[in-house]
Amino acid sequence: MTKAQRDDLIRLIASPPAGSKIADAKDFGIDLTLLIRTLEMTPTERLQQLTAVQAFFQELRSAMKTATHG
Amino acid sequence: MVDLQRILKVFVEAKVRFVIIGGAAAAAHGSAFPTFDLDICYDRGRNNLDRLVKALEPFHPRLRGVPEDLPFCFDTVTIASGMNFTLTTDLGDIDLFGEVAGLGGYRDANALSTTLVLFESQCAVLSLEGLIRCKRATARPKDLLMLREIEALREMEIQVKRESGPADDRNQGRIEDKQTKT
Repeated sequence: MTKAQRDDLIRLIASPPAGSKIADAKDFGIDLTLLIRTLEMTPTERLQQLTAVQAFFQELRSAMKTATHG
Repeated sequence: MVDLQRILKVFVEAKVRFVIIGGAAAAAHGSAFPTFDLDICYDRGRNNLDRLVKALEPFHPRLRGVPEDLPFCFDTVTIASGMNFTLTTDLGDIDLFGEVAGLGGYRDANALSTTLVLFESQCAVLSLEGLIRCKRATARPKDLLMLREIEALREMEIQVKRESGPADDRNQGRIEDKQTKT
């Protein structure tokens, strides 16, 4: 994604057209800035990020279990 | 947690015919929602079932969410007799779908897929349009939540495509859209 495309997307999510799906998602509370970040990645990078998130959650669950049960 | 890189490599090397669907497909397109398993829609042709079973067998697939002592034989006969399976394996949780709500079988899912380069392998991934159909059909609260994000993502993708074109698609790892119209 070029800088111009990124800037256009930032403008689009800041003021989405009324009735658009982007407006609907924004009103619902979806953080669209996260989507700009993922759109800048390759599909492999997106899955690598997903794997890192999974690992973090697993670590968090283990820590919670240890804190609860010792 | 599922080892996506390894399991996709296993399927691709075994020449299993499958389409990545669900949360992992959404993530590959840019969704920010986390998912903890891999959902695939598989071709139920006999040869493909053999390849799928042979590929997964070394990773000890067993049914997820059932008592551990419940007998389960992961073989071609079992997969041919059933349709959708929620499995846990040594590589993580994998759900096998012979049929997908809102889509149909493998051919339908494949027709609505896009070929993406994932970990250096070309994989069929359900398109955003296909994901939208699925989420509308299942319509659970969590699906409706993701549906809003995916629909927004599609509009944002259209905006980016409008300004770039196929050359940029290749740079982003997208090889081919099988879907020509929806």
